[in-house]
Amino acid sequence: MKPIFVRGVSHQFRLTLAIILSVVLFVANDRVEPIRQSLSTVLSPLQYLANVPGAMLDWSAEALATRKMLSAQNKVLMEQQLLMSERLQRFEHLRQENVRLRALLGSPVHMDSRKVVAEVMEVASDPFRQLVVLNHGTRTGVYVGQPVVDAKGVVGQVIEVNELTSRVLLVSDSTHGIPVRVTRNDVRAIANGTGDIDEIELRHVAKSTDIIAGDLLVTSGLGDRFPEGYPVARVMSVARDDGQSYAVINAQPLAALDRIRYVLLIWPDEEDNTPLVPISVEENQSLKTDSAEDVQSEEANDTPSASQNPEVSQ
Amino acid sequence: MSAHIANGRLVVWITLFIGMMFQIMPLPEIAAAWRPDWLLMVMIYWGMALPHRYSILTAWVLGVLLDVMLGATLGVRGLAFALVIYAVELHFQRLRNFPRWQQTLVIAIFICIYHLIVYWTEFVVVGDSAFSTDMFLPAISSMLIWWWVFWMLRNIRHRYKVR
Repeated sequence: MKPIFVRGVSHQFRLTLAIILSVVLFVANDRVEPIRQSLSTVLSPLQYLANVPGAMLDWSAEALATRKMLSAQNKVLMEQQLLMSERLQRFEHLRQENVRLRALLGSPVHMDSRKVVAEVMEVASDPFRQLVVLNHGTRTGVYVGQPVVDAKGVVGQVIEVNELTSRVLLVSDSTHGIPVRVTRNDVRAIANGTGDIDEIELRHVAKSTDIIAGDLLVTSGLGDRFPEGYPVARVMSVARDDGQSYAVINAQPLAALDRIRYVLLIWPDEEDNTPLVPISVEENQSLKTDSAEDVQSEEANDTPSASQNPEVSQ
Repeated sequence: MSAHIANGRLVVWITLFIGMMFQIMPLPEIAAAWRPDWLLMVMIYWGMALPHRYSILTAWVLGVLLDVMLGATLGVRGLAFALVIYAVELHFQRLRNFPRWQQTLVIAIFICIYHLIVYWTEFVVVGDSAFSTDMFLPAISSMLIWWWVFWMLRNIRHRYKVR
């Protein structure tokens, strides 16, 4: 039997080596980040390849959409756009007022930051963590720690980037914390993920703190990672149990974390200087006034989530 | 002879590559929890068939690559793969000669052990991972397709005379 002679080192030795190597990786977790990044750049074509079946399904759904479906969808979008542009008109007024007031106070004025729409790639992630993969990487300028939002609220932050893809840690992951404040009374807290996709909690909040169910939590801008004013979650329950030293506060993330498809990557420090493309208003019969068009073209790149918070500032 | 070995090596790595693709392939929400451990099964097969060529360290490297693909802490799956393949190597003679149902059962137990090791190490290294019996669902689905994987890989091995 050949194998007996080619037998090299023993299994025990190999296992010990593997265990030692694993422990080294655990301990040096942060230092091996560059290696991990280059490995993941090399392997990212695999992710694109694995994404192909899902992308094909999407494509066929688009290609097979009937005229009736498209016109129905178009109608809904038209209505939505009308509502949004009405809101934008009010927002524009508030914004100017805010700029004037801030000028009076001598406070810096919030600039519109650069944003890029990214698509969530359908690839498997560690089942014990809450992660998604986006189809943008260092080539677009994505960086570790970058905030990610969707139409309704904060999604999470980038924790790993390579050439073509990046990985986002969702706000619901148990290792994620985000500084928030309550819009009603500006109480500050830190919202920690629980590992449950539709639940985050506020830890170490004194029982006397004024937080009630239904309160809206927005980013406070403290911690210098997330820009101020993006909605994060809504408080679902507040329990003040005598046996506990702190109030137990659960909140539900506003972003639809379980079915996100498109998200916005934000560069808070970079001003938005991409030429604003006005939405072709000629085709849109619902917009008639000149002022509405101006507002439309001026704010075309603004997210709805930002428009809900006129007092956004840096 | 060396060209022959190189050819065999290529075949093995291609099967492992396909296993990796299946492992990270997107699945519908309902099926995601039932995702069979393709990569581990392919590795167990080669560890059983060619224990002196593909064993613990190969498994460790694959596990680390899988960690990179899944965005997990590096080394978690490397460790789990290495431990499972070690168990396979200890018993490869017996495993090869087990009747079909018994082999399937043992593989299912190995996969349960694999998921437990991954859970424990994630718990120790990352902390706060929630325990749920859902993590054993892949063992059931893997059990159901193990024989098919085994048959497929054995055919490939015989066809390309991988030794």
